[in-house]
Formats: sequence, C-alpha cells, structure tokens
Amino acid sequence: MAHALRDKAAISGIGETAYTRGTTKSGLALQLEASLRAIEDAGLSPRDIDGIVPYFPGGGIAEDFIANLGLPDVTLSLFVPMGGATCVAAIQSAAMAVATGVCRNVLISVGRTGYSGARVSTRLQQFPQFALAAEFEAPIGMFAPAQLYAQGARRHMELYGTTERHFAEVAVVTRQHAILNGNVVMNKPLTVEEHRASRMISDPFRLFDCSLESDGGAAIIVSAADRARSLRKPLVTIMGVAEGHPESPASIAQRPDLLEFGLVKAAKRGYDMAGVGPKDMNLAEIYDCFTFTVIRQLEILGFCKTGEGGPFVMDGRIRLGGALPINTHGGLLSQGHVVGLNHVIELTRQLRGEGGKAQVRKAEMGLVTGYGDMGDGSLAILRRAA
Amino acid sequence: MSTTTSAPAPERPMPVPTRESQPYWDGMRGGKFMLQHCTACGKVRHYPRPVCPHCFSLESEFREAPTTGQIHTWTVCHHPFNFFFKQQAPYIVALVDMDAGVRVNAPLRGVAEGDLKIGRRVALCFEPVTKDVTLPYFAGA
Repeated sequence: MAHALRDKAAISGIGETAYTRGTTKSGLALQLEASLRAIEDAGLSPRDIDGIVPYFPGGGIAEDFIANLGLPDVTLSLFVPMGGATCVAAIQSAAMAVATGVCRNVLISVGRTGYSGARVSTRLQQFPQFALAAEFEAPIGMFAPAQLYAQGARRHMELYGTTERHFAEVAVVTRQHAILNGNVVMNKPLTVEEHRASRMISDPFRLFDCSLESDGGAAIIVSAADRARSLRKPLVTIMGVAEGHPESPASIAQRPDLLEFGLVKAAKRGYDMAGVGPKDMNLAEIYDCFTFTVIRQLEILGFCKTGEGGPFVMDGRIRLGGALPINTHGGLLSQGHVVGLNHVIELTRQLRGEGGKAQVRKAEMGLVTGYGDMGDGSLAILRRAA
Repeated sequence: MSTTTSAPAPERPMPVPTRESQPYWDGMRGGKFMLQHCTACGKVRHYPRPVCPHCFSLESEFREAPTTGQIHTWTVCHHPFNFFFKQQAPYIVALVDMDAGVRVNAPLRGVAEGDLKIGRRVALCFEPVTKDVTLPYFAGA
C-alpha cells in the first residue's frame, strides 16, 4: 500500500533574491523579498499563506510574517532546528500540514546575511545544538563546521583512499554549473589546479572545498497536491520526504561511526515512501557545505557503495550530460548559501522544465538532500506530475 | 591626550561547566581524567548528561579513567576561526578512541603531521590555562 503522504503535497511556488556578497538589507528583508516572489510564482496572494516554517535561528519568526504580509489567520507556526538539514526536513512537516488540512499553503523561507552580517562561528554560538561543541571543543580550538567535519573526511580518506582530486572534481563541476545560472556569487571558471593551490582551512579542507558565506533569501510554498494542480506552475509533487537524526546528534566526536550521517535513516524512509530507488533519479541536488559531504551522501543514497564516492564523481558522471547531474545551480559551493533551500528551488525548476542553460533533459524525477547540525540529514524525492 | 592603544588580546573560548559536567572539569583541574559512569548498569558515557541511554537511570558517578588511547582521526587547523588560535595555527587536533571507551578531541603535540595515522597510540595530558580551567591535550605515547 502506498504511503499516506506520497504525492499528497506539492512544491507550488519558489522564490529567491539575488545571491551576493555585500548587502545593506536585513536578513528578514531578504527573507520577505524571497517569500513574496515564491507567493507570486505560485499565483497566490500573501493572504493565502496560513503556515509558516522559517529557518531558525536567523531571519524572521512567524510574528514577522504576520506583521509584514498581513496574514489573516496563521494556523501553524514551527521551527525545524536541524541546521543545514532544516529546509528539506521542513518539507516533511509542511506536507503533513497540507495533507491533513491543518494548512492550505505553507511558507518555508530563509534570509541570511552570512557575508555582511555575523560569520559562521559567531552564528553557531546561538544554536543550542552546538552547546557540547562550545563546551568541549571550542576551548581546544575546534568549533567551526570546517574543523568538525574535516575529521570525518580525513577518516574516509585514510580508510578508502579518497583523495583531494576527488574533492576538486566536486568543486570544479559545481562551478561549471554555477556559470550557467545567472544568479550566483561565483561566476568564473575554477580549475583543479586552482583548487589544489587554494589555502588550507582545516586539513583536508581547502578554501574551495568550503561553501560560501553569502547574503540572500530563498523561499518555497508547499500546498496540497490537488489544490496545487490548479495553480500557476506545472505540478511538482513530493513523492517521498524524510528526516534522520544520527547517534550522538550534538557531538560528532562521540558518534560511533563519524560517517553514519542522519541521512542513512532518512534515505531508507524517503525511498520507501516514494517507492523508488537511486536508479530512478534523473538528477540530484546534494547539500554541499563541503565537497566531501557530497561524496559521502552519494554513497549513503546508494548511488555507489561506501568508499566508492570519490571515484564515482569522476569522469563526467556528475556533470550536466552525465549519468547523474548534481547541483545544477551551483550549490552552496558556488551559487550562494541559503542553507540548501536553493537546492529545493533548483530541483523544482528542473522538474518544471525551467532549468534554462542548465536544464537536464527528460528531468522527471530527482532528489534533494539536507545535511547539517553535526550530521542531521533529510531527503525529498520530487517528480513532475503526469 | 595621547596614548598608545592596541587591540585587546583575543580571549580564549572557555568551557562553561554544567551541573552534569562540573565533575569532569574539576577532575581536569586536578590532573585526573574523570568519566561519568551509570551507577545502575555501570556503563560509561561522555559527554556528561543526566540520563543513562542504556538503562535510563538518573544516578551516576564519576570515576578516574586511564589516559591512554589511539588516534581515530584528525584534522590540522590552519584558518583561525577564533583569533585566539591564530598564534598556534597550524595545529593538529586528534580525535582519540580512549581505552576507557569514550572519545576525546584535543590538540596533539610533539607528533609531526607526516607521522599521523589511525591507530597510533597517544596519551592525554593536562594543561592549566587559568587557575580554574585545565584543558586536555595529547602527546605521543
């Protein structure tokens, strides 16, 4: 029997601001600008929004949306505090809300001044999920994600022979895709040599293995699929969606297997709900806070075996035109860092046939992941409705 | 008025002990590696927390544990995300499987980057950084 939530909800609207490094706007202003664009894209009025899931902490809360958009009757306000796994995990909460009739249209949004405002290490001090890292690891010189995730990457290299060249391939391909998209922070080609020459941040991560600190806003609308069919854009439904929390969720150091991300659990449930597998995907938008994070998620998602993620990304496989194009918009590595909501937007765009120069041919089904907060994971499988 | 001003020295991030973790930090200050054990089932847990995830007992006690272990993985920090560490960079941070059954993340001193490998034996040492706070580091064993 099909999962009760399968295809019951849809991504009905998408919106983003310009992605920049340097803005005078507040995170809230960027978030509202993107939200208005998503509402317009869906062909809805702000008055039609009755569910609010803002990224938190940072940007606005439900009260800000009610005050700015004049929302007459918000029936659901919640946070999904999973760091970079938030945006895709929030789709699960939103899908449940619209499928049960609690909400008609749920707005998921992000607004960030990651470049012109507080930088990553400062922001993370606000996260209760980073309390253990703050107490036990910050004092000995480990706190930033680049440092905390580097140890898992190093272990993967030692155990399986994954190399910097594999990391470089992810960075270079992502940049090639970014250049095809008009709205990106990094719009010049990147070579393998430039990757190798970039400064070391936290070994094995070099500068070009790390995602951008950028400014921007992004938003999506989740609506019930039967209602979304009559809205402005082609129907893109949520076949499967899941979130997963790893063991020792607030401390990577104490996790029995550092490479056992929450996505291990989410992927199984997401695929089961959708009734499909990795071979059915025409493309994948993979959360790319670091190049290595992409490689490991491809393994967890079943595109290859554990330890084979490095060789998997080589030889054009993940490029446009390859067997599995990934991050066709430029991702967090080259487009901009809006905590992965841009990945959801890009997958939706591709499935609508709005991919522009980066359009994947016959893009009918794809997946998008979230990763964050020390290894929380989330997965959504979307498809273009018949 | 003319005075010479210089930027204030960046502060080292310091642990803020909780009611659960206080005995661990007290142990550090006394040069002892104290770990939380469940009074009911005896299992060790780290970082300190109120409930045993194996038997759900709320009762626990801290016992001194051996300071030896082996490298699980590592990173070499080059970029100082906190300016306090700028002077020290690059520095190795080793994640160590302690013989006591938990992991500790701490700087590794006296071992060259080229000599790092999974399984290498190390020993935990204690470095007082203020009169109240002692932090761990590793040295080759």
